[in-house]
Amino acid sequence: MQNKNVSSVLKSVQKPGRYIGGEYNSVIKDKASVKCRFAFCFPDTYEIGMSNLGVRILYDVINKDKDVWCERVYAPWTDMKEKMEEYSIPLTAVESGDPLTDFDMVAFSLQYELCYTTALAMLKLAGIPLYSKDRGEECPIIVGGGPCVYNAEPVADFFDLINVGEGEEVLLEICHLYNEMRDNGSYTREGFLREASHIEGVYIPSLYEVSYNEDGTLREYQPRYPDVPKTVKKRIVRDMDKAPYPEKLVMPYIETVHDRIVLEVYRGCIRGCRFCQAGMVYRPVREKSPETLCKQAKCLFDNTGYDEISLISLSISDYSELPKLTDDLLEWTDDAHVSLSLPSLRIDSFSEELMRKVSSVRTGGITFAPEAGTQRLRDVINKNVTEEDLMRSVGIAFRGGKSNVKLYFMNGLPTETLEDIEGIAELAKRVVGAYFKIPKPERPHGIGVTISVSCFVPKPFTPFQWERQNSFEELIEKQKHLKNSITDKHVRYTYHDARVSRIEAILARGDRRLAPAIALAVEEGAIFDAWDEYFDYDRWINVFERCGVDPDFYTTRGFGIDEVLPWDIIDVGVTKSFLKREREKAYAEKTTPSCAEHCSGCGANKLGGKTRWCK
Amino acid sequence: MVQIENKVVPPDKDVNNPHNNIKIILRFKFRKVGRLQYISHLDLVRTMNKIVVRSGLPLYYTEGFNPKPKMVFAAPLSIGTESYAEYMDLRLKDRVDPALAMKLLNRNMTDEMQAVECYYPDSKFTDMKWLSYSIKIHTVGASAELASECERTLTAERLEILKSTKSGEKLVDIRPLVRSASVVFDSGALNISCILSADQSSFLNPEYIVSALKEKCGILNDPDLTAEHYTVTRLSAFTEDMSPFR
Repeated sequence: MQNKNVSSVLKSVQKPGRYIGGEYNSVIKDKASVKCRFAFCFPDTYEIGMSNLGVRILYDVINKDKDVWCERVYAPWTDMKEKMEEYSIPLTAVESGDPLTDFDMVAFSLQYELCYTTALAMLKLAGIPLYSKDRGEECPIIVGGGPCVYNAEPVADFFDLINVGEGEEVLLEICHLYNEMRDNGSYTREGFLREASHIEGVYIPSLYEVSYNEDGTLREYQPRYPDVPKTVKKRIVRDMDKAPYPEKLVMPYIETVHDRIVLEVYRGCIRGCRFCQAGMVYRPVREKSPETLCKQAKCLFDNTGYDEISLISLSISDYSELPKLTDDLLEWTDDAHVSLSLPSLRIDSFSEELMRKVSSVRTGGITFAPEAGTQRLRDVINKNVTEEDLMRSVGIAFRGGKSNVKLYFMNGLPTETLEDIEGIAELAKRVVGAYFKIPKPERPHGIGVTISVSCFVPKPFTPFQWERQNSFEELIEKQKHLKNSITDKHVRYTYHDARVSRIEAILARGDRRLAPAIALAVEEGAIFDAWDEYFDYDRWINVFERCGVDPDFYTTRGFGIDEVLPWDIIDVGVTKSFLKREREKAYAEKTTPSCAEHCSGCGANKLGGKTRWCK
Repeated sequence: MVQIENKVVPPDKDVNNPHNNIKIILRFKFRKVGRLQYISHLDLVRTMNKIVVRSGLPLYYTEGFNPKPKMVFAAPLSIGTESYAEYMDLRLKDRVDPALAMKLLNRNMTDEMQAVECYYPDSKFTDMKWLSYSIKIHTVGASAELASECERTLTAERLEILKSTKSGEKLVDIRPLVRSASVVFDSGALNISCILSADQSSFLNPEYIVSALKEKCGILNDPDLTAEHYTVTRLSAFTEDMSPFR
């Protein structure tokens, strides 16, 4: 009789390659000789988790420390989850195959709100209590990190420790503190967490008392002890040229979502679109030099053999040395049969030269994000692109052989009117017009314009954080109106499920009172809510009702400008007064120049670091 | 069997080619065992693509918009089969010492996939006609008697199985594709040794041997997936006259 583990059921699940490990460049250490075992969990499938840059960076950083062994853990797909439940097979790490309960730290990368249920389902599969308060001394320390933790309150009760900001330094400091306290015998769960709260960028939810007003709004966060910081300051890497970057990548055997070299060019964004959380929380802008990037690219190519390098950042064309970087890379990439791709091009900086340099032959399509249909609304959201920019860019794309243009928009933005919605249809129509204006021999055969419209979710730490979200009915009405406004047969229209956006808003803007509802959803089988086929709106509404959560409170109500916000516990660098100023300018339909043109005093410069534009 | 290079011209025999368009093809025999049995053929090809690039060998790239290293594999394995007899023909721009090439490839792979031979071939993949397999079945009720029953079933005059085709299920006699089969009971398991057709037109997947025994001898029928299991391992390749394929 063999041991019951994942491998005993591999022949009866789809894509068994997800669960086997053994990849080239994966790190195997002797578990007896490391002091701290660290399980890095990604609450989604192997294919998605393996593509995540943050995981790639942190796996490398942690494993460079000889005393710590970092392993990867992914969520089993539902067929495997069923088998694991049927045969009592616990969730295990990819490298060693050991159950999560053998680990000292179990960390989750929280990339989007809808993965919360997957993260908790993973804890459940591992046999670890969901609530921090229910965990005993023998339990691993459960760590959360990633972009969601700028408001981790809805899941704060499930995590022992939260890493706010960039993890390159913090995670090792946490492990070192842990090892030290284990070595000198002073370790207790409570003592460790208390001590860890002194590390910059560490938030220990259990060390704060949260109180509420009678109307249901937040009253205050009160640290339980005087040595616990009143607010938790986001941690950043100060010098991107000196920041660790992996020289090798774990090479998946099966095809993953982004199966290529990903080169992070800079952090932060100079733009300040008022709906965009990433554009605010990753400030200040810190660039890598072209020399550093070229060295990293060549090294990664030698160690992986990938045929594509993707240059990523929030807006790649805003990199101050993009021409030099692409020229330097092209010196060797062509001969090595390696192509470059730039996934985040802005409409106002797209050029023929740039298109020539990047992998133009592989796809017939290109994507732009005007976000709103009229100049008025684009000014409100501070997108800072014009219709002229768009027409020029699509003209270049069509002449360059691209026949499919995809345009991203948002419904439900503050101040949006029916006119703005009709503007989306108009804009798409003019893009089709731009194609037919090009003489036949100079344009590709056939044209398709897709408009993809998502629903606005007011996110924490943006100038729109106080805004109300449109109700489900309003959003449906707007989607219908847009559908009726589209007359051109070359325009294809796709839109996001408004119900998903509503749940996303609740989870993004919620406070600690959501925890019981999230736990209940998991108890009732929720997992992979980020996947359309497993998203269950009715289950969410049902658990909210049973737990006394009013969805409207977090969505259509909007937050008062002087209200205590759940995420006020975090200091993200950008100040509340800047966000308020930006909100006023939005309503005045006034734009704010980018960091490259003029410093707007957002406050992120106080975090320090080798910044590109900060005064 | 996968598409074969039509004209494998051993470079030594064609040195006088005035156009110098000699195809230099290097053959690797490699193992793919352990966890890698769960990697599909398509994923193997994608993985091998990156391995040969990392190796630094002077690769020949295909023409066109999306150049890839030129390589061809013999007899694709199905998921769940281990193998000690996988073959890949890799086209190069220049001749390289095979021992060096093998070293370069192997240092870019894990222990579960390693080349064991490397040479400039004289044969074509179409010359591969038979493949031998070892199948170990841990089933409830395994015994010497059950082993003999299984052997009788596999070596009877006819061995009919249901095969699903485009036009529905069809009864097919696979006995002519089984060159030999023996079953012994050892260490609690049924150990099958068999030689099956590897011919392009009549390739026999060893999984059919397992499913035939499931159906006819009632093995591997426990609803508890963890109670029973089996392994399939490809051992060696042969030509028509049963001499080792090389």
